[in-house]
Amino acid sequence: MSQAVAESGAMGRVAYARIAPNEDLVQGVEKLCLAEGFRNAFVRGALGSLVDACLGLRDGGTQLIKGPAVEIVSLAGEVRSTEDGGLQAALTGVVADPQGHVYGGPFIAGGNPICMTFEVTLEEWLPED
Amino acid sequence: MAPARLHTPAPRARTMIHPGPFNPVRIQSQHATHGRHIRLALAPGLSLYEGLVKPLAELGITSASMTILGGYAARLEYCVAPPDKSKRALIAYSTPIPLGETYIIFGNATLGFDAAGKPLVHCHAAMRTDTGAVQGGHIITEETIIGPWPIPVLVTSLEGFELRQTFDPEINISVLKPLREQMI
Repeated sequence: MSQAVAESGAMGRVAYARIAPNEDLVQGVEKLCLAEGFRNAFVRGALGSLVDACLGLRDGGTQLIKGPAVEIVSLAGEVRSTEDGGLQAALTGVVADPQGHVYGGPFIAGGNPICMTFEVTLEEWLPED
Repeated sequence: MAPARLHTPAPRARTMIHPGPFNPVRIQSQHATHGRHIRLALAPGLSLYEGLVKPLAELGITSASMTILGGYAARLEYCVAPPDKSKRALIAYSTPIPLGETYIIFGNATLGFDAAGKPLVHCHAAMRTDTGAVQGGHIITEETIIGPWPIPVLVTSLEGFELRQTFDPEINISVLKPLREQMI
C-alpha cells in the first residue's frame, strides 16, 4: 500500500558553485552541501558538461552516452540527509550528446565526470521538526 | 599498454587530461542568506539575451540562476560541444546551428558578467525543432528571438556575491565563477 508523505518546511540559504572537471556530478553536489553546511537542498538551476553521461535504467543497468562533451541541458533533483549520518543527492535530467541528440534519466553517482565546468544553484531546504 | 582490468564495475568513468595545471580547489562556492525569486515573462520579439538581462537589470539583479519554463522562439541558434581539433582545450563549441521556429522545452541559464564587465548569459536548453526532432545544447541567447507569446522564467537572484567570467588555466577557457562582491 502506498502512502503519500508530505514534509513541510522552509527554504533557507542559496548556494552557487562552479565544480571543476573530472569531479563527479552527483558526488560533487553532495560535497557542495558539505562545503556550505546544507543538510537538505533542492537544485534550483544547473548547467554544464560531462565527459560521458551515465544514466540509470529500471533493471539496474545503465545507459552510457559517449562524449566528450555531453551537455547537461536540464537538471532537477534534491539532496537529503540520511539516517546513517550522511547525505545523498538524487539528480535527474536531460543531456545532449556531441551531435545534439538528447537522452534523459537519473544520473548514476560516480559515473558522470564533469568535462569543462558545472554550474549549480542549490536552495537549502529546512524541514520542520 | 592497456590498463589492468581491476574490479571496477562497467562503465568506468573516464578521467580526462586538460591542457593546464590541475587546481586543487575543485568546488568554488558562495552562498546568500536567502533566495530572492522573480517571475519574468520574456517579451515577444526581443532576443533571449535582452529579454532576460534588461528587466533584471532594472531590478538591480546582475547575477542569477534562471529556469526557462518553456515557450516558442521565432528562431534559435545553438552549439554542441565536440572535441577541440586545435587541442587548445579538451572541447570547443561547434559553429552555431541555426534553427527556425523552435519550441524551447526547458532551459537553464546563468546571468553574470563577462571579463569586460558586460552582462553574460550562459544558457543550455532542450528544444523541439520545426521537424519535430528534439535537440539540446548551448543556446546563443543573442541570436535567439522570443516568439509570439511571453516565455515564463523563474529567477533565483544571487545576492552578496557575483558571477564573473574568469579565465581558468586548467581548462584553458573562461568560465563563470562566484566571487564575493568585496573581492571584486
